[in-house]
Amino acid sequence: MVPPSLLSLKLRESRVRIVEECFRREAGASAAMPDETVDLIETGIFDSMAWVSFLRGVETASGVSDLGSALNEQPATLASVFAALQTSCADVSVQDDPAPEMVRPGSGKLAFITGSSLRLGSRVIPSEEIDRAFGMPIGKLRHRAGIESLAYASDGENELALGAKAAEETLRAAACGAHELDWIIATSETHHNYPSLVAQLHSRLLARENCGALDVGGACLGLVNALAVAQSLIGSGAAQNILVVTADVHSRTLTPGRVKGEFGGLFGDGATAFLLRGGSGGESNFGYRLGKFLFGCAGQYAAAIQVSDDLEGGLAVQFDGDALSRAAIARLEKIIRAVELRSGIPRASVGHFATHQPNPRLLTLLAKQCGVSPDAFPPICRTSGNLGSSMCAAALHAALQNASRLPLAERKPIFLASLGPGLLFGGSWLSVGHQ
Amino acid sequence: MTKLLITEVTRMGPAFCVIGLQRDKEVIHSVRPIPSTANSWLHFPHKRGDILECSLVPFSAAKPHIEDRVSTQGFRKFAEMPEAEIVNWLRKAEVSSTLSGLFGCALRENKNGSGHYVMPGEAQRSICGCDTQNLRLELCANELRATLVLSSGEVLRDLPVVDHNWRGFVEQALGPERGANRMNRLERFLNSQFHYKILSCPHHFVRLGLTRPYHDVCWLMLDTLFPLPKPEWFEEF
Repeated sequence: MVPPSLLSLKLRESRVRIVEECFRREAGASAAMPDETVDLIETGIFDSMAWVSFLRGVETASGVSDLGSALNEQPATLASVFAALQTSCADVSVQDDPAPEMVRPGSGKLAFITGSSLRLGSRVIPSEEIDRAFGMPIGKLRHRAGIESLAYASDGENELALGAKAAEETLRAAACGAHELDWIIATSETHHNYPSLVAQLHSRLLARENCGALDVGGACLGLVNALAVAQSLIGSGAAQNILVVTADVHSRTLTPGRVKGEFGGLFGDGATAFLLRGGSGGESNFGYRLGKFLFGCAGQYAAAIQVSDDLEGGLAVQFDGDALSRAAIARLEKIIRAVELRSGIPRASVGHFATHQPNPRLLTLLAKQCGVSPDAFPPICRTSGNLGSSMCAAALHAALQNASRLPLAERKPIFLASLGPGLLFGGSWLSVGHQ
Repeated sequence: MTKLLITEVTRMGPAFCVIGLQRDKEVIHSVRPIPSTANSWLHFPHKRGDILECSLVPFSAAKPHIEDRVSTQGFRKFAEMPEAEIVNWLRKAEVSSTLSGLFGCALRENKNGSGHYVMPGEAQRSICGCDTQNLRLELCANELRATLVLSSGEVLRDLPVVDHNWRGFVEQALGPERGANRMNRLERFLNSQFHYKILSCPHHFVRLGLTRPYHDVCWLMLDTLFPLPKPEWFEEF
């Protein structure tokens, strides 16, 4: 156990780091930190817009959501900010905290990903064939979006078949029987039938009857939502082993004649599965530990992508590709910045970025915007297309696979960042479990 | 002489900015009278709804503040118009139901914290009206901010509220003569009665504006919120 005084010191250091970083984002990278008692508005260091912007940055990075309200009737000083952070009920993350369970409610169990699997649609279709099917100029998907091929489900494959395969492989790899599962959590942006996907998976896998089954939404953000729910269930003591499954078959929904190729041609089919287990962090052979999550909804981008059923049984798709591209890159970078700040892990020391991948061209752009190597982004979408809720998941699986080939000491953290229509967003990080 | 219906009086620091509607044949458009030596007024003796006679000279204002006109003489009050009628006229001027339509260009979000801005060269105007599905005012670290959702479902957060009347209302609500727990009472009002009063008002309407270029970008602000605050509301909290 870490002495409370040391934990308090670490929390203080974490808050100072967050406040300093957010201050410099507003005031400029070379700006000197003012004395804590200096009024930032009265002295002209910030105008009122920069002051509020700075506070919003601190809120996002610290997880304290009511900072602005707490600072009413207080001077615009750093001392006020630190005092408000101190009194806030939310705890500020300390990434290197050797006993993070001390600040966790419930059982104090941490969530580890101990196995994963990816199942892509078994038909690999060159992107030129998709161009042709949608009546687009041949080469458009390759040259404009960077997509070389798409993974499409074959006749016998659907969300259930792909998801069940991925789940079975994951359980086998982790040596975990389906009867050991406490919960199955599934997410899909293409499966809208009942019984729901998770109900069908529960039966297919022959999980215990009292194993919980939960479908979560969020479309491309589905995996991050599902992992957050799983982590909470483990942390509260309600579960020890949880299977998270994603499965998407776009090729039967986003078809030529139903949607335009510039939209429908981007998507492929696939499924993933992850086994999460609760642990204290002291066990050996455990995998990656899930960090804290941040979520939100950037409603200013809501109009960039909207999909609904139309009266004729088709799909009404509103898709402003340029606006969505700009929004996706800006927001993904913002998530990565927030995860970096909250975790205390510099992006330069991250092994992989498991993000949503709208298309390969945007992935390259995102890497450039973030100032990191494109190699840190597993290039799944180049050969399989955008996999929807399974996209970030496929990237995470690839990142875990790559890491597993390295000696434990050389494994690096993984950042998670994804988006869904709305524009929903979420992120987290994974760090190597303690030995 | 020009007839100008004053539709907004905004305040940032000590300076006032005034915008009115002018009829040009069948077209109603916004005009921003400015003194010959500055972009804003330190004293403006008229209020919203006043119809003023004035002499305005167009000049090639830098984008996006194309509504600027230099006022060469004083203003003479000619008549005045009730609040609901002002909104009727505002609905005939610049309006948009989408974010991209507000200023005729893409909005960008502040990567560091909060707020939205446009690039001065891209925006086609600096003022636009809109209907909102929902709107919330809050005090964030003593600064009045608005969050709203347009008819399109798109959301704008943390807009600085520069509406002179609304800022005055909040300042008065927090004045020492208002007694104890002023901040809590105001927050409670903004979270309850305010919401109903605004959204149930048949002439609920919002005008959004752009700041002058600052560090090469123009930030979005909430210039005007109709209905305007009523003195009797102070009795309710």
